[in-house]
Amino acid sequence: MSEAHLTMGAHTAPPMEERPFAIPSKKLAMWLFIMSDVMTFAACVAAYSFLRNATPDWPRPFHGVTNVAVMTLIMLTSSLTMLIALQAAKADDKAGAFRWMMFTAAGGFFFTLLHIRDWMGMMNQGVGLFHNPWGPAAFGAAYYSITGFSLLHISVGTIALIVVAIRYQGGRYNADDIELFSLFWQFISLVWLFIVPLVYLMNLAR
Amino acid sequence: MKKNVAVYLVLLVITALQFVIGYGNIEGSQLAVRFLTFAVIETILVVLFFMNLGSEKRVFVKFVVYFMLFVLATMNYIWTDSFRLLVYRVTKIGPS
Repeated sequence: MSEAHLTMGAHTAPPMEERPFAIPSKKLAMWLFIMSDVMTFAACVAAYSFLRNATPDWPRPFHGVTNVAVMTLIMLTSSLTMLIALQAAKADDKAGAFRWMMFTAAGGFFFTLLHIRDWMGMMNQGVGLFHNPWGPAAFGAAYYSITGFSLLHISVGTIALIVVAIRYQGGRYNADDIELFSLFWQFISLVWLFIVPLVYLMNLAR
Repeated sequence: MKKNVAVYLVLLVITALQFVIGYGNIEGSQLAVRFLTFAVIETILVVLFFMNLGSEKRVFVKFVVYFMLFVLATMNYIWTDSFRLLVYRVTKIGPS
């Protein structure tokens, strides 16, 4: 085979494989990330449930859950504002999409503040990672790890959202990228809807 | 957008119901079952409408759903040992 023959394309690469599941690769990657995160949260929830069930004198320290109710309202509303941002981005309304993403980020920011306030309240009651005033030492570790993991996702997600919004406005990202972030935001919002009944509502003081 | 707002309102109502039930007199496993049922309904709504899984290819929907069911099933692996600890708890170690 001559050199010319090679360069003319006789030795071509095999055709690209079809996209798996017929969705864009970036979107598939985000779904796979979410599914791996589901496993991590599932492990946290399973560990918490194990301890909660196996400990007869598990503490019920939550007298009021107004703070948690407000946090839940903020999280659900931010899910909706994220969807509005996505719709605006798909309609090529750049200013609108940016504005709604900033509303969503504000929701994430206030959620983080209220979460820290919730933690401060628990710390003031003497709840640490390995001790608390009520007995079972595992309570603090279980509480802080499961809520902390959620807080980590939401606070880091808020920063990432601001970065995505700025890059979108600057023209580096498009509506598809907003959709990817929207998937992540809906997921962390959903996780919070599992944490509220499991950690707070099942442990209300009687 | 109207559909999303409707789903958002349903999610708010379900969450409010969870808070009402939480303050009620139901205890133990009955409470857990009710909360889990509500959480599963919320998951279906969020995944189908907010994450738009319903509009993806059927094969991908199956992939995600089977994976979720597998994770849910394996989460229940803990219960036997958890109840063993609860029932056969060692209260005193060493010779009496």
